[in-house]
Amino acid sequence: MSQEATTTEKSLVSPFNIIAGIIVLIGLYLTVRRFTGGLGAVTNLSDNNAWGIWIGFDLLTGVALAAGGYVTAAAVYIFGMKKYHSALRPAVLTGFLGYALVVLALHYDVGRPWRLPYPFVVQAGTSSVLFEVGACVALYLTVLFLEFSPAALEWLGLKKARNLAVKFTLVLVVFGIILSTLHQSSLGALFLIAPSKVHPLWYSSFIPVYFFVSSIIAGLSMVIFESTLSHRFFADKMDEAHLREKDDIALGFGKAASYVIAGYIAIQLLGIGADDEWRLLGTGYGLWYLVELFGFFGVACLGFAIGAREKKVQLIRWTSAWAVLAVIVNRFNVSLVAFNYHLPASDRYFPSWMEIGISVFLVTLGLIAFRFIVSRMPILYEHPEYEDVH
Amino acid sequence: MSVSRRKFLGWLTAAGLSGSAFGKVAHAATTKHFEGHPDSLGVLYDNTKCIGCRTCEAACNNVNDLPPPDRPFDDLSVLDNKRRTDPKKYMVINKYAGSVNVKTPLFARTGCNHCLEPACASSCFVRAYTKTESGAVTYDSSVCVGCRYCMLACPFNIPTFEYDAAFTPRIRKCTMCYDTRLVKGELPGCVEACPSESFTFGKRTDLLRIARERIRRYPGRYLDHIYGENEMGGTSWLYLSGVPFRKIGMREDLGITPAPQFTSSALAAVPMVVGTWPLLLMGIYAMSKRKDKIAKEEKEQALAEVTAQVKAEADQKVSEAWKKASQEKEKAIEAAVKQALEAAADVETEENS
Amino acid sequence: MKKRRSLLLLTGIFFTAVIVVFFTNGVQGVEEVTSDSPLMRADVITIDALKSLGDLEQPPVVFLHDLHTDAVEKQNKDCSACHLSEENRQSPKFKRLKDTSRQQVMDIYHLDCMQCHREVLKAGEKAGPVEKCGECHQGQPKAVSDKELIVFDKSLHFRHTEAAKDKCETCHHQYDEVAKKLFHAKGKEGSCLYCHKQQTEENRISKRLASHLSCIQCHRETLATNKKMPQAKDQKAGPIKCSGCHAEQQLQLIKRIKDVPRMKRNQPDVVLIQAVMPDVKRPKTAPTILMSPVPFDHKSHEKYNDTCRVCHHADLNTCSSCHSVAGKKEGNYVRSEQAMHQLDSDRSCLGCHGSRQSKSSCAGCHASIPIESKQQTSYCVQCHNKQPQRSTANLKPEQLARMMLKSRTAMTDTYRDKDIPETITIKDLSNKYDPVYFPHRRIVRRLVTEIKNDKLAQYFHSQKGTICQACHHNSPATKKPPRCYSCHGKPFNEAELLRPGMKGAYHQQCFGCHQQMGIKKPDSLNCVECHKEQKK
Repeated sequence: MSQEATTTEKSLVSPFNIIAGIIVLIGLYLTVRRFTGGLGAVTNLSDNNAWGIWIGFDLLTGVALAAGGYVTAAAVYIFGMKKYHSALRPAVLTGFLGYALVVLALHYDVGRPWRLPYPFVVQAGTSSVLFEVGACVALYLTVLFLEFSPAALEWLGLKKARNLAVKFTLVLVVFGIILSTLHQSSLGALFLIAPSKVHPLWYSSFIPVYFFVSSIIAGLSMVIFESTLSHRFFADKMDEAHLREKDDIALGFGKAASYVIAGYIAIQLLGIGADDEWRLLGTGYGLWYLVELFGFFGVACLGFAIGAREKKVQLIRWTSAWAVLAVIVNRFNVSLVAFNYHLPASDRYFPSWMEIGISVFLVTLGLIAFRFIVSRMPILYEHPEYEDVH
Repeated sequence: MSVSRRKFLGWLTAAGLSGSAFGKVAHAATTKHFEGHPDSLGVLYDNTKCIGCRTCEAACNNVNDLPPPDRPFDDLSVLDNKRRTDPKKYMVINKYAGSVNVKTPLFARTGCNHCLEPACASSCFVRAYTKTESGAVTYDSSVCVGCRYCMLACPFNIPTFEYDAAFTPRIRKCTMCYDTRLVKGELPGCVEACPSESFTFGKRTDLLRIARERIRRYPGRYLDHIYGENEMGGTSWLYLSGVPFRKIGMREDLGITPAPQFTSSALAAVPMVVGTWPLLLMGIYAMSKRKDKIAKEEKEQALAEVTAQVKAEADQKVSEAWKKASQEKEKAIEAAVKQALEAAADVETEENS
Repeated sequence: MKKRRSLLLLTGIFFTAVIVVFFTNGVQGVEEVTSDSPLMRADVITIDALKSLGDLEQPPVVFLHDLHTDAVEKQNKDCSACHLSEENRQSPKFKRLKDTSRQQVMDIYHLDCMQCHREVLKAGEKAGPVEKCGECHQGQPKAVSDKELIVFDKSLHFRHTEAAKDKCETCHHQYDEVAKKLFHAKGKEGSCLYCHKQQTEENRISKRLASHLSCIQCHRETLATNKKMPQAKDQKAGPIKCSGCHAEQQLQLIKRIKDVPRMKRNQPDVVLIQAVMPDVKRPKTAPTILMSPVPFDHKSHEKYNDTCRVCHHADLNTCSSCHSVAGKKEGNYVRSEQAMHQLDSDRSCLGCHGSRQSKSSCAGCHASIPIESKQQTSYCVQCHNKQPQRSTANLKPEQLARMMLKSRTAMTDTYRDKDIPETITIKDLSNKYDPVYFPHRRIVRRLVTEIKNDKLAQYFHSQKGTICQACHHNSPATKKPPRCYSCHGKPFNEAELLRPGMKGAYHQQCFGCHQQMGIKKPDSLNCVECHKEQKK
């Protein structure tokens, strides 16, 4: 529970550090290869498969899993649930790092990353859903940065700046929720333009709604999942409030998640009915869709519901990992599995080890940054000088 | 549990609003149907005239200064494999087996169809594509970021990306020779080169008329359908074929909705969300704040009542105790005075004896 | 307890995963395993006899008849092993003369089929199924019929008339409704198909039954008779097995007589086809003749077709007996104008002549002639020849027809050599190629050779210059037809939308003709065969 950083006391050679170090080294090598050899040198992308796991995982999944920020902020500030307060800063940090990594991953995927500001400063293609995604992500990253800044400012001891930053919280939260709704749904809306390429079970004019609701599921589950991991690895950084509230957070968020997943399953089935696609469920793809909906989301819903009712925190924690996996599976399905479903097997895409390597590298960077911040800044505890509760 | 019920209702409202905002309702926004710029140009490809000589491919390569191909253009064995466009070819001719009526092999041209409402132009977030008034869809590599969304959007899978270029990767596709030929009033390279005039060039409206007349004159030769007349909202490149189009590798299931219409409702929801979300969220915030305030007031009131009651009880106890104490004190004083008097009396008697 | 539960859970997950992986095989676009394609046989009979007695519970049985005929022959038995006879007529049904009840019919099939199979099996030979329902009632049949329908054309008919020694009553009969029996009406013989249709009707069996009962019976009797005469080396008769008439390969082996002698059915040599309108008010008077009549050479037309049924599709009477000018019920209200002129019919005059144009020797030119629904009147006159002078008014129609036919001329040739340029040098376009030295006269002569034996072409190409119009199109027939550049110039002329430019015109004309006529040299894909590349 000491506030001082304890890293100087530990030796730098730990299993995590070694593995992370290797990954970082490989990642740096791959980065050089990517930027000197072009996308073709590193990825398995082709003209038929223009988007691979850097979009499917790093972008779509990354944004979905970083949704904990706005969900927790909504719960605490908008819905006034003070008892989840201790989950706020870790969620905002996860969100901020998540979005920062998404933007970093975008630099790898896009052909000319230095031109990323072009839509805003040179020529805006406002008919494009991607423009809206880009604008909202850019703004939201700023919002998250500002929401996170009080923690950093507290660490730096800049009281005045910190107090000023805190004053904007509510505005930032509302703005953040609006932006999140827009870009979470728009990431799904990206696929609306290609109905001939996405399998009908996953294609629907309601994709934006599905993506938005599943982002809430992802956010709730990620908060529980991240808190589980934090308690496992950073328990010594946590203050009493955190330790005391952790189970309440798990139970509360788990209960909420079970409702949202139930609603999500309902609207998915309604969508299937609206498009009269029931007989497609009898195909191979149909079975996989059912596995995603019931095997992943359905089981998660059950797990959360049972855990919340029987007050089994451990079950909720395991279920949160399963729910996170469910959202990952969904994003992969829409962007990689159901996409180009009509092409023969020889034309389908599978990532190269280098693409996977970069993705792992980016996630590792995120973990390292998380660890750095959490061990120094008042994320898992409250800074004694600023113990004014909102 | 009343908290969760209210929350539930709040979410339900939110979901309902978002559902209505994103759903198909917004389609009713327009009844407009873009039929192309007036007098815009197009090309009619007639596969009953095509002999698969690849002269068009050679001309395209020449006019657009594309890199030399792996195998020369007079190598017709290339046609034994199905090809798609790639950075070295804006247009490919593919060969397909004949049918019961057509004993000779059939050919089909694959390349940008210059849609009237292009998916690529709609999807590009830096407006790198332009649907010119001439009908050609052009690409500007000076603003392209390389996000490749256009490749996803194009229903015909035409744009191709220079994956092997590290610093200047471009999208490549047929431009209908806009910069090199059209603006000078010349014919596109493939059109000019074809020996059997399989490509007919002219105003799109005229091409449709030509196509219909050809079908009328030779009903046994053509399928009664002009591909591109309505597909994806209409394209500038039209096709006539002697066999069903799926037999020559062209998708028949694309529908007639222009691509931008697929995303227009999602985009139209953005201002709705921006407008309604603040109301919704601040409304819930105000409600929850008020709920907290009321709870606080009720708590304080209850506390005050209890405090008052406790105080009253305490006061009573204290006064009783005080009374008792003063009574005892008086008794004690009396007893002490009595004792003192007795003691004084004793002393007096002792002195007197 | 907890350990057992978690083990159960893990097992459940494992099995679910296996099932999922197995069934989602198709997700990554894995090619599906194709089942074995069925056997193609000409002797497939689908046994669904119970259909008329109720719903089928099992899929119909796929029965291979020739297989069984061979097996029965091996046992030195004949058709009577399975087929009962009544009054010398063999029933096509299996071991019964009539369908009685559902149960009885079913029993006959089950018991008799399987009994025979069992006996064969006992004898140590291969046999059909004896027990399992699905082996006969195959849901996905292992054998599929590729039966060809045999056409009883003039050649076969002639061989039969020789074998029957010109006794028409051997096969041809008509039905007396009053006496309720068959009789032979001499001079009124017609095709079996005029009466025996696709389905069996009251008192009239289907063409399938008719042909099998009549033909096979006769063939069997002939075979039996031949067997008794060992000196008849040629112990041949018609086929009795399915494959003999229905298998494509066997059909090729049937002997064809070229130049079949003309059938003797009192048919006319020439006919004068007149469109007449009877006067309803005065029926006794001669009807009004509407158009110039058409003299029709019936005898020659008999030679052009394999059967009479091509034109006489319903009976052997005249066309006008059913197709009147205004249309009659007997003719399904098809008017005579339609009957003669409809372009997409194979029975009408114009339809048949039109289909001849798709022959490779004609298609080179005719494929590129567009279909025009309105013909010029000059075409009508080619069939509706002008009436000769008044002095012929007393002639009988047939005589008039003969006269008109005689006066018809055939154009067998075109202009003389000195009027046809030998070589045309086409150097209008070349910037990449040398000029084309077009062998003009040789091609014209070739076209003339192609129509040397084609009377249709020779008649309808009424002028010397008609054949030039193949390439010198959209202009009148003349000795000096227009050059290509008279009309074809720059392509994509808005005033002439359908006219190709010069280069396109040349290539479309040449390639098109070569492709239609099946000419392999010059190869369209080998440019230098027509024009050498220019030396730079």
